[in-house]
Order: sequence, then structure tokens, then C-alpha cells
Amino acid sequence: MPAQIVRAALLALLTACVAAPLGVFVAPWAGWLLFCGGLILQMAFHFRNLARLDRWSRAPDVDASLEGKGAWDGIFGRLYRHEKDLRRQIADRDAEIARIIAAIQALNDGVILLDPDNRIVFCNTMVEEQLGLSLRTDEGLPIVNLIRRPEFVDYLGGGDFTRPLTLRFEHGEERALFIVVIPYAGNRRLMHVKDVTQTDRLDRMRRDFVANVSHELRTPLTVLSGFLETLGEIEVDARTRGRYLTLMAEQARRMENIVQDLLTLSSIESAPPPGDEVVDMARLVDKLRRDAEALSGGRHTVSVESDGLADLRGVEPELASAFGNLVSNAVRYTPAGGTIRIAWKTSPDGAEFAVEDTGIGIDAKHIPRLTERFYRVDRGRSREAGGTGLGLAIVKHALNRHQARLEIRSDPGKGSRFTAKFPPGRLARP
Amino acid sequence: MNESQHVSSQFDEDMARLRVRVSRMGGLVETQISAAMNAYSSGEVAVVKGIVETDHEINELEKAIDDDCAHVIARRQPTASDLRLVLGISKIVTDLERMGDEAKKIAKGVRRIHENGQDLAQFGAGVRHMAEAVLGMARRSLDAFARLDTGQAAGVIDADHEVDVEFKSIIRQLITHMMEDPRTITTAIDIITIARAIERIGDHAKNVSEQVVYVVEGRDIRHTKEKTA
Repeated sequence: MPAQIVRAALLALLTACVAAPLGVFVAPWAGWLLFCGGLILQMAFHFRNLARLDRWSRAPDVDASLEGKGAWDGIFGRLYRHEKDLRRQIADRDAEIARIIAAIQALNDGVILLDPDNRIVFCNTMVEEQLGLSLRTDEGLPIVNLIRRPEFVDYLGGGDFTRPLTLRFEHGEERALFIVVIPYAGNRRLMHVKDVTQTDRLDRMRRDFVANVSHELRTPLTVLSGFLETLGEIEVDARTRGRYLTLMAEQARRMENIVQDLLTLSSIESAPPPGDEVVDMARLVDKLRRDAEALSGGRHTVSVESDGLADLRGVEPELASAFGNLVSNAVRYTPAGGTIRIAWKTSPDGAEFAVEDTGIGIDAKHIPRLTERFYRVDRGRSREAGGTGLGLAIVKHALNRHQARLEIRSDPGKGSRFTAKFPPGRLARP
Repeated sequence: MNESQHVSSQFDEDMARLRVRVSRMGGLVETQISAAMNAYSSGEVAVVKGIVETDHEINELEKAIDDDCAHVIARRQPTASDLRLVLGISKIVTDLERMGDEAKKIAKGVRRIHENGQDLAQFGAGVRHMAEAVLGMARRSLDAFARLDTGQAAGVIDADHEVDVEFKSIIRQLITHMMEDPRTITTAIDIITIARAIERIGDHAKNVSEQVVYVVEGRDIRHTKEKTA
């Protein structure tokens, strides 16, 4: 600053030095005129720079036009550098924030940030998918206007977040979401949403499994012990005794079947991955047809359709058991007079083994759970037909081990089609 | 200046609170519909009692929200879009309350069928499909209200037509059944009541969406043909 004052003073002095001789030798008014003219010039120069600074301050911009002359040079230079630094810092910080947001987006779980009034501040794409939100339209909206499940609204309003909340969606696609609210930065909230559909389903299956095994084994056991008690306590004639023994043997066989199926299932599960010995499909399909006809006892029409172009690679007993279960199900659930069609066909993307029947069919809501152990559409009917409740579980496991998929299509009242689709890698072309 | 700003932000707060309450009511109604549907698919009648109880809460909320609307109009004298929002809300809650009533009707129908010891598995799929569609409409109409999104509202209005078509086909199917076997008439009539209730829920969801369009654009598109224009 002092330098500028000295500079201005020197310039004024210079003007005075030129003007003074003129005033002394020519005329005083001419000297004053020159002196004033000089000062005005100097002021005009300052005003020009001031105007430039004024223009720039209205729209600060980093560009070369911000360049001063004379005393203004230093000021403009410092402003220019300051502005440039500021902009670089902002850009750095923006990049930093973008990286943090990218990290939140990369999370496999849903994250929603809420302000103290429970309005949505941010949510990642995962949660947009999970809860049908969209940050673009929903930023600033109270979350309870969009997620309206009463249990969620009460949970968020209750303020007690020591326990997580599990939201189950039953309609449309079945889902279970695990929600934890974590308060942060005073009274802001972070909502962590985890999709637990899979574990939820597994949990339920495990619980059901234990309950079902106990139940399935206890029922015949109750019958057995009842007869044993009767036979031990009272005298019965030979004919009744014979009838009791037949019934007991029947129940014992049923338990045996269940235990046998459980063992099959566990041996399939724990066996090493299937090798690739070639299974003769023509022979297998023929055997399935004969089994079906024997089981049906002439009540159904059994037809076979096989293009005989390829054989399978895998473990024969497992595949035979899987296909056998599909065929015997078809026979059991098809009323007399129906048709059962067994098909083995190759296609460019692999091969499929299909069993189609004209039976009672399965309601769509049961299909996703059909391969669960002991899952039954109709308990009474299934037992009457002699099922253990494990058939399709065995089919699914055996097929999975051969990289095959089980597809079930069914029309209640019209019939079902079970298709096992094998990838090309499992085929052996003769 | 300061005074009016203060008043307007107070008004905004009132409106935000009102909308949260409407959403709460909507959430209850959605839960009712889905509980009624579960009762229908599972034949579980124990939930019917819960549905009747929640219906009381919905009715109370309707009265309270209507009251709030009257207060806001009297005290704040809103104009233009603010006024439309208040009027829209007061109509939307009426529709929501009716949706709750229809859900109650479904639940009671299920109980009646169950008490008569009849099986509704045969007609399950069609009715369930329609109910899923209607539940989706209810959800989307409330989302549209929360976001004031006319695009979504238009989608709901379009979907109502499909539900009507589905309803007609269910009725046709039931008529065939009744003609083939007169013993099914009792059940069929109960199922018609249920299907009718579901279809009505769809109509109310459409009404809610129409109100959303009215609130946002100021156009009354009720009883007009070109709704999505």
C-alpha cells in the first residue's frame, strides 16, 4: 500500500514539475491547467481499472481479462491466484464427494440418508430397486409418504432403533427386507436396508423341515404303537390280528420309504460331483415307460417320444431316480383315463427330458415351493397317493448336480409338464 | 414481507403434515387390501377380525384429515394450487376410506365362503390376478400423490380399463359354472361380491389418480374420455 501512495505522490510531483515552469514562464493559469490535466489523467487511469474490477466482481471468472496495469497489477494478480486456488479446491472436494457417493453406490445393500424431518436426502441405486424409490423425483419428500407400511411408519416414528425391522412383501415378487436405522450427526438418520429374502426362505425351510420330518415319522409311529398296545393288552382272534399286522406292516413300510428318501437325498447332497460316464438314454427311457405302465396298471395311456440323438453324461442311479420320480408323480396325480407323455429331445442349446400329464395340475402359487422337502399342495391327497413328500426335492438336487434346471408348468385341472433342461456339456453324442 | 413469509412457511408445514397423514391412511388401506387378499388365497379367516378393527382406525383418520382440511381453508385461505391440494386431499381420503370398506367386504366374503364350508380354489387364479393388479394400482396412485407425479397417475387410470376387462371375464366364467352346476351358485355369488369389491378398489384408485392430476394441473379429468392427453 505505501508503495502505491509513494507512486501516486511521485506522479503528482512529476506533473507539478512540468506544470510549474509553464506557470512561471508563460502564465499561471496555463500551469494550473496542465497540473489539473495531469491529475485528471491519473484519476481516469485508476477509474478504468476500478471499473474493470467492478465488472469482474459481478461475475468472478478465471480468465486472462483480469489483468491490471501499473499499481493495479499486483491486486489483480493476487485476486486471480486466489480465485484459481478456490476453484481447484472446490473441484477437488467435488471429486472427493463423488468418490464417497460412488462408494455408497457400490455397496451391496441399500442406504438412505434422512434429515431430521425424515425427508429423503440421498439414497443409493440398490435401495431404489429394493423399495421402488428414485432419488431424482423423491429427494426432499418425507419417506413415510412413499414407504407407507404401518409397521415401518411406526418403527421410524417410535424412535427406538435398538431392534431392526423386517419388512415382508408378499404380493408380486416375494421379498423380505431387513431395515436398521442408525442415527448420525445429531438427529439425522441413516437407513440401512438389506435384502434377506434368501436367508429368510432358508430359515423357514429349515424350520419347516425339522417340524415336517418329526411329523411325517410320528404319524405312522402313532399307528404302530397303538396296534402294539392293543395286541399286548387284549386277546384278538387270528383274523383281526392278521389285519392289524398288515396295517402295521404298511405303516412300517411308509416309515422305511421316508427314511430311504431322506438317505437318498443326503447321499446325493454329500456325494462328490457327478462324473461323466455315459448313460444310455434309450434304455433308461424304455425302463421308465415300463415302470410307468406297471404303476398305472393299465389305467393310463403312456407314450414315449425320443429322438435318440444323444445320451447323457452323469451318474445313472441319480438320473434314474430323478426321472423315475417325475414319471411316478405323473402317474399318481393323473386320474384314470389320462395320458402321460415322456419325451427326450436334443436341441441346439442342450437337451430336455420332459414328463407331461393330463392330471389335476398345480396352482401357480405352489410352484415356487414345490421342490422344498415335505412341501405338499394337499397333504391328504399326497399321502393317499403314497408320496413321502421328498420326491421333487430329490429330483431338484439330482438335476442341480448335473447342471440341469427343472422347469414346471402347470394348468390347474388340465395337467402339468415337468422339464429337466440339460446343458450341451452334459451330452454324449454317439 | 417477513410476516407473510412466516405465515407461508407455517402453511407449508401444515400441508406437509396433512400429506403425511394421508400417506399413513393410504398405508393402512394398502395393508387392509393385502390382508384381505391373503385371507382369500389362504382361506385363513382369523385375519378378518384384525381387518375390521383397522377399518375403525381408517374411518377415524378420514374424519380427522377432513377436519384438518377445513381448518387449513378457514385459517390460511389458500389460493390456486394450494387450494387445489387441500380440496384434492379431502376427496382422496373419501376414496381411501371406501377402499378400506371394500377390503372389509372381501374379508367378510371370504369368511362367509369358509363358514359354508366351500372351496374357492377353482376360481382362485383369476380373482387373485385381478387383486394383484388392483393392489398395484392402489400403491401407484398413492405414490403418484406423494410425488405429485401425473405420469404415474395416468398409468393407473389406464390400468383401470384392464381390471374392468378382467372383472367381466371372471363374471362370464362364473356364469358358465353356475349354468353347468347349480350347486355352485352360492359360492359363485360370494365370489362375485368379492370380485366386485376388488374391481371397486381399482375404481377408487383411479379416482385418487384423477385427483392427483387435478391437484397438479388444475384439470378436472373425471368423466372425460381422453384422460391421458
